[in-house]
Amino acid sequence: MPRAIPGVLVECDASIKAIINRINDQHDHDFIIEDIDDEHVLIKSSKLDELKLLLKDALKDSVRENEDSSESD
Amino acid sequence: MSSTASQRALDYLEQLPGTTFTKLYQQPSTALAIFRRMLPHLAKNLVMAMLYMPAPFPIADLDAWIKPDSENAQAKDRALSILQRLRILEESDGRSYKLADAFARSLRLALTGGGNHRSFGVPCSTPDAKAMTVGWLDTFARQQWEAILYYVVGSVANATLGGEVQEISEGTKQLLQKGEFVTVKGSGARAATAITEKGFSFLLQEVNAQIWTLLIVYLEVSGELQMDPVDVLSFLFTLGSLELGISYSTSNLTPTQQQMLEDLADFGLIYRRATDTSRYYPTRLATTLTSDAPALPNSSLTATTTTQLNNNAANSTFDLAAQSEKGYIIVETNYRLYAYTNSPLLISILSLFTQLQTRYPNLITAKITKRSIQTAITSGITSQQIIEYLTAHAHPILRRQAPILPPTVVDQIRLWQIEGERMTAWRGYLIRDVGSQEDYEKAVQYAEALGVLRKEFRSKGWFFVSRMDQMSGYFKNLAARRREAMAAQAAASQSGRSSAAPP
Amino acid sequence: MNAVDATNRPEQPDEAEPASLLTIILDTNPRAWAMIADSLPLSKTIANLLVFINAHLAINHANKVAVLASHSERAEWLYPTATTTPDREADDNPNGAQNGDLQMQDRDSAGSGGPVLLPIDDANKYRPFAHVEHTLLRNLTNLLSTTTPNAISSSPATMIASALTKALSYISKQSAALPAATQSTQFNYSDPTSVAGGNDLSNPSANKSSSTSQPLTSRILILSVSGDLATQYIPIMNTIFASQRLSIPIDILKLAGDTVFLQQAADATNGIYMALDTPTAHAGFLQYLMFAYLPDASARAHLITPGEGAGVDFRAACFCHRRIVDVGYVCSVCLSIFCEPLPDGTCLTCGSHLSVGNYGLRPVVVARKKKKKRKEGRVGEESRGSTPAVG
Repeated sequence: MPRAIPGVLVECDASIKAIINRINDQHDHDFIIEDIDDEHVLIKSSKLDELKLLLKDALKDSVRENEDSSESD
Repeated sequence: MSSTASQRALDYLEQLPGTTFTKLYQQPSTALAIFRRMLPHLAKNLVMAMLYMPAPFPIADLDAWIKPDSENAQAKDRALSILQRLRILEESDGRSYKLADAFARSLRLALTGGGNHRSFGVPCSTPDAKAMTVGWLDTFARQQWEAILYYVVGSVANATLGGEVQEISEGTKQLLQKGEFVTVKGSGARAATAITEKGFSFLLQEVNAQIWTLLIVYLEVSGELQMDPVDVLSFLFTLGSLELGISYSTSNLTPTQQQMLEDLADFGLIYRRATDTSRYYPTRLATTLTSDAPALPNSSLTATTTTQLNNNAANSTFDLAAQSEKGYIIVETNYRLYAYTNSPLLISILSLFTQLQTRYPNLITAKITKRSIQTAITSGITSQQIIEYLTAHAHPILRRQAPILPPTVVDQIRLWQIEGERMTAWRGYLIRDVGSQEDYEKAVQYAEALGVLRKEFRSKGWFFVSRMDQMSGYFKNLAARRREAMAAQAAASQSGRSSAAPP
Repeated sequence: MNAVDATNRPEQPDEAEPASLLTIILDTNPRAWAMIADSLPLSKTIANLLVFINAHLAINHANKVAVLASHSERAEWLYPTATTTPDREADDNPNGAQNGDLQMQDRDSAGSGGPVLLPIDDANKYRPFAHVEHTLLRNLTNLLSTTTPNAISSSPATMIASALTKALSYISKQSAALPAATQSTQFNYSDPTSVAGGNDLSNPSANKSSSTSQPLTSRILILSVSGDLATQYIPIMNTIFASQRLSIPIDILKLAGDTVFLQQAADATNGIYMALDTPTAHAGFLQYLMFAYLPDASARAHLITPGEGAGVDFRAACFCHRRIVDVGYVCSVCLSIFCEPLPDGTCLTCGSHLSVGNYGLRPVVVARKKKKKRKEGRVGEESRGSTPAVG
């Protein structure tokens, strides 16, 4: 019998996936419902916004944002 | 059938219970409006073909009527799916389709006229002593609507932009909060409103979609206020079938609808004098509710596509006011933006995603920067919305060239968005354990045809859909048929024959 | 960068279908209607036709309709009403009034204009529908009441050619009047690749600005009751070729009579041809209209259109006596068709002198001489000669 699991499908590249996995581990495995493959993961609907915030924080630490280089006046 | 406007209304209608539909379809103007506004083109032709058909339409005949290649089959599935979601089409005994009785009756009545439903509005029998001109109504509608937009956007922009903007009513403010277009922070006299993500995308929609977005919030709220949603919806659809520039009588409206008149006047959908409550004028915002025509003339490019044979005179007064809004933005390849406007509303909207630089009496200059775009994106505006807005309001000079906006700018805006976006997310349902490879293929195909398929993971035999209601129906049907087949097979093997298995 | 994502489909519903203009030519020849009055009287036809017109208008807000009567001695507009030389639009209509052009009082599309005062203010009817209905009936009554018995007896035919010509010029005018956002969508007579009917979407630049500049797709529906149009062969064929060129399908619904050319018209322009000449078929008149004739060009792309594709009668009428001929004589210069040899050998159309030996004789069928086949070394010759008949 087919099974339908409600949730949010997240698509990202493998490096981000690793970060999501780490966040999941740090938070009692409270995010991920189903680990689909390297670039897809199903997470709980209620946790999406929280995950986004955590991911942003994590990225801020690890990725250096290069500054806006559009020409000045 | 374009725009997000009908999609929004469709989403709302879909979640109504079946009995509400039956009640809604009692009214010919509603049936006509839903027919015209919500259905894909093929579905319309299908409905019309079936409307005067004496017997149900066999599914096999329908399949034979539509060209067999996959693209057309998909169009057919989409048409059928929407028809069924709107409870217009019923499957009778699994072999043929028929139209829902109430809907068919009302649509026939709409086409032939007659009956005593009075759903196309009762014009005032006595002429108005001071009849309103179309131009005046347009101005009124524009003022009211822009005041609402300005309230939404005004909560971000500083108040120093000037220009007189009228205050909107308390009820409308509450509605905007309910709809989460703005939030109120603080309390009492120091309360300040702040625009939300939804508010941003609301601002950048085209006017028709904005009206529907707001009206749907209104519908949701009206339920809480003990207003009958059927009454409310019916009245909205009636408004869509009225004629601009004619006054209509309020005498045959239900109490709920009388109550609505006040709110709708606040939105600028209708105009009613404070002194004379027995008549009301629909404005263009209302009469275009169920059509594709632009709700505010010249507010976007689409205004020019309606043939305006007889209303040259009516329009000329309005042209002056609208001139500034009909294509006023010039974007250069160096990310500079010039906007010929002095409207505080438009300036505020531009300030959402650009860095304003200089303001002249009829012109402002601004710059699109990474920071300005990313600020917009973090507050919930998508790059697509920005690009669409710039395209829709591009100055006629830009319009002469083939890609209207400079491609470098468009690409860069998209790139700036992607830079911040490291993941994409869809809400929906992951379906697994479908069964055999063949079952999986069929289920995926079905989902694809419905347009709900988001992603499939072939190697695992899973797939992801955005909505489940019809998929679960599909699986239930499949299971039922399986059981029947099993039972039939069991019966057949008992009686020693094996030809009874249905496909 | 954001590649087109096919999975986003529900967020991007169908592009708006282009507005479509339906021009109906109603054959109002009183004689022919009298013949089928038992099974399908004119009044009933009109009632059904109005439902059909309303259905067409209901499908798309921007859809338009025009109705012409092809009467016994003239073709007349039923909807919109034609008025000659209006004075009030003289100023703001540069290409109209000055040339003494006909002005069409069109229903202004759903309230984009001032109020249209109707004698019928009925809250039970959608106003645009009521408007079309009212105008059409009034004009038809006018037409029929001004027809003298004399006129009927003097000309038993119907003016299909004249009506078709009027219809085509109206369609042309409407397509041109539609403000085109991009220049390329406008029909350019000097450019043989452009089309005014708008049904040909091969022009990529016209496609690009999809929702903003919709071309008008047009089609013509002829409700025909009278037969024998041979006298109008040449003008009818000319209009057929014009429609073919503008890719405007001509649909034919034949209620009685037998006409060769209308079938050719449908065939040449990809229209639908159906003949309903039994009383049972007449009873289902409306259903035929709604099922077969309602879908416009964009819907027909999805549907298998009904009709009799095979067995189209391609016979022509001669230019000299308007007889329908199976085998005739064709002027080698201008391709005019004649049913019999011309007395002085001069073409009636172009005046070329046709000097042909054995003029007027039927071609003699000569039995083929049997060639003796020489197989060795004559390969080259064989390929030059005619294809040898098998068997």
